[in-house]
This record gives sequence, structure tokens and C-alpha cells, in this order.
Amino acid sequence: MVSKSRDVRRRLKEKAARKEAQLKTMSDKPSKPKMKWYPTEDKPRKLFLRKKPQKRTKLRASITPGTVLILLSGRFRGRRVIFLKQLASGLLLVTGPFELNGVPLRRVNQRYVIATSTKVDIQSVEIPPVDDSWFKKNKKNKKRSKEELTDTGKSKLPETFVNTQRSIDSQLVPLVKQVPFLKSYLCSRFCLSYGQFPHEMRF
Amino acid sequence: MVFRRFVEIGRVVLVNYGKDRGKLGVIVDVVDHNRALVDGPLTGLARQTINWKSLTLTPFKVKIQHSSRTGVVRKAWEEAKITEQWQNTAWYKKLCARRNKQKLGDFDRFKVMIAKKRKSAMIHSQWKRLKSQQQ
Amino acid sequence: MSKKPSGRLYCKGVVLGYKRSQRNQYPSQTRIKIQGVEDRASTAFYLGKRVAYVYRAKRPRKSVGGKKTKIRVIWGRIIAPHGNRGVVRAKFRNNLPPSSFGKRVRVMLYPSNV
Repeated sequence: MVSKSRDVRRRLKEKAARKEAQLKTMSDKPSKPKMKWYPTEDKPRKLFLRKKPQKRTKLRASITPGTVLILLSGRFRGRRVIFLKQLASGLLLVTGPFELNGVPLRRVNQRYVIATSTKVDIQSVEIPPVDDSWFKKNKKNKKRSKEELTDTGKSKLPETFVNTQRSIDSQLVPLVKQVPFLKSYLCSRFCLSYGQFPHEMRF
Repeated sequence: MVFRRFVEIGRVVLVNYGKDRGKLGVIVDVVDHNRALVDGPLTGLARQTINWKSLTLTPFKVKIQHSSRTGVVRKAWEEAKITEQWQNTAWYKKLCARRNKQKLGDFDRFKVMIAKKRKSAMIHSQWKRLKSQQQ
Repeated sequence: MSKKPSGRLYCKGVVLGYKRSQRNQYPSQTRIKIQGVEDRASTAFYLGKRVAYVYRAKRPRKSVGGKKTKIRVIWGRIIAPHGNRGVVRAKFRNNLPPSSFGKRVRVMLYPSNV
């Protein structure tokens, strides 16, 4: 034990000597300002989190793939769209389809949606491999070159977006056209008119 | 104007309030100025006193004595074919239509709206044609 | 932005006043009457829904779009039914001013659970 403590003391001494030398060299450089604060720990350590990983958001029973949803807020409020799948973040992947009513592939929270009893059979549809990261904007390309701008000065959509949308539309639209009136239904907007009270209505 | 529908024993009534709303019954007895004893053995309306305010008189009548028992009411009802008569009235059909309308989903409402538009467009075109003929 | 949606996507409500007793007022809670809701059971649909009191102010202020407008909103949520006649209580981010009494509020359809 004794020898060990001696060892320790020696090492400490050496350390202090080194530090002193370091400080001397630092003080030799007057241009460098003194640090305003020192970290309390030698190494940054990750905080211990007691939080469990978040559970996946439970999908409402009324929403199944192919359900026609009514969007309640945002740019496309009032639009009727088709639900494709739930993403890992819990958001719903929907599309108009874009060809019919202009609603592109889009993520929405299920709280901002009314599920209708109408369902489109989309079992045969191959849903594109779209996940949450697909929607993240590419920040590096924020300043686009002039080639990427359209005539109106707006930035063009990346090719992948357009192609994916086209592929899903080409599958959905024929399905929609099979059901009478469904196409014009999806093209139209939902709104409340006089004497309609949502608590009495069925969707 | 002459009144045709009276509060009397055997008068068929429609309940328009509470959990028995929409059911038919027969006035079996008049309790007082506020309530009647009503029975509807074939409509699922249990024998009970109901406030006049929640009753509507129908044009139908059943031949019974006052305070008749449920079995007697049932027989008289069947004899007078009240159920069939009631189902033939415009009143009943209207109630049914209203109930069905409430059951419609969003897509159904849309289809109804389209049908209505088509109907009124047809009427309008005919109306225009007739009008131009007259002039 | 494409053409703005024209239809109404909210229910009409009216501010009745604060929650109150005979002599006291509790301005942190506001009573709201929603059109077409006539009994307590029907209020269940509206509980938790967002409410917007939209009004015009004297001075324009920056709003969501970045443009300056005179239109301002106080947001709130419906928290409970009030009585048996379909009135509900709401809490707003800022308590509503008394000048809002008798005015229209918008009861939004979200957060939705249909």
C-alpha cells in the first residue's frame, strides 16, 4: 500500500510539473485570451437517461391502408387523400393522389385528420420505400444553382420526388377510377355547411 | 278547421322524446292533465306513463276499453293492422329518410350532393325550355 | 400558394362569458356555446378541440405569413362540458378580454379522434 501511494504522489508531482510548464508556455503567448471557464470533467460524458425509447404511436383503429382521410389543417386542409402507411415517427404517409387533387406524398399527424369509412383497396399497390428521412430537405443544396430554378424563380423538385410520385400515382389512379364517383370525390374538398354539426355526422 | 285527432283511449301515439323516441304506442288510460298510460306491445314500448309533451297523436285508433291489458292491446293492434298502416304513411317514410340520412358517410353525402345537382339541373333545363316556349 | 380553401372547417361557437358564481368571476375559464350542441352528451365530441378567437385589432402586427395584418388570434382548448345544455368551458392561452363576450369563436375539428 505504502509503495503505491508513493507512486501516486510521484505521478501527481510530475503531472503538476508538466502543467506548470504548460502554463508557462501559455503565458508566453499573450495573444491567447484566458479561458472563461473550465470543464468540470476531464472528458465529456453522456448523461444517463432513464427515459425509455419512445413507443411507436398507436394508429387509430379507423385508419387502415387505403382509408380516405380528410385533412383538417395546413395548406391542404379540406382535401381528401388516401392513406398509404404509417411511418416510424408515427406520422401518416398520404397522397392525393397528386394527379387528381394536387396533394403530393406527404406526412400528416393523425390528430389533424378525419378518417372516413371509405376505403380504397390498395393491396396491389407497391408503396414506395419512403421513410421520414425522405422528407428531410437537403440542407447542403440550399443555395441552388441557376439551372435548378424554374422560370418563376422557385426551386425545382429533385428528380426522385417526381419519379416516386409518378409511380404511386400511376398505380392509384386506375384503382380510384374503378369506383364510380370516387375520382370526383377525391378532387372535391370537405367543408361544413349550414346545419351540419360534426358530432352528429358520420364520416 | 275541425279536429280529427283526439286524446282518447285507443289513440295511437308516437313517442318523440327520450330513449323510446320513434316508437308507437296506444293510449290505454289518461292519468291526468300531464300524463297518459301508454302501451306498445308490438313496438317494444313498455307499458308506462308518459308525459303528453313527449307524445304526438297519429290518425290511427285501436278499439280497446280503458285500462286494457297488454294482451288485449296487442290483439286490437293486430286487428286494426296499425303497423302496416303506419308504414304506409308519408310521415313514417319521412322519419325513415331522416334516419337514413344521418347514417350516411362522407362519400355517400357526396354522392347525394351529385345526384341532387343533376336533378336540379334537369329541372332547370326543362323549366327554361318551357319558359322559352311560352314566350 | 394555390387557391385558398373556401369552405368552413370549423364549428361556430359563441363566447358566453367567464366561468362564474353569483358574485365572482373566474376569467381563466370561458364558457362557450357551440352551435347545434344542445345537450351534455353531444359535447363529448368537442372536448379537447382547439378554439380560436379571431378578432381585428387597431394596429397591424406580424402574423404567421410574415405579413402585417390587423387580424389576431387567441388560441385555446375546450376542457370540459358546462351544465347539461351543451355549453362547454375553454381555456385560452391568454384569458379572453370581456369585449369578446357574445362574439364568435371557431371550434376547430382537430385534434381529431374520428
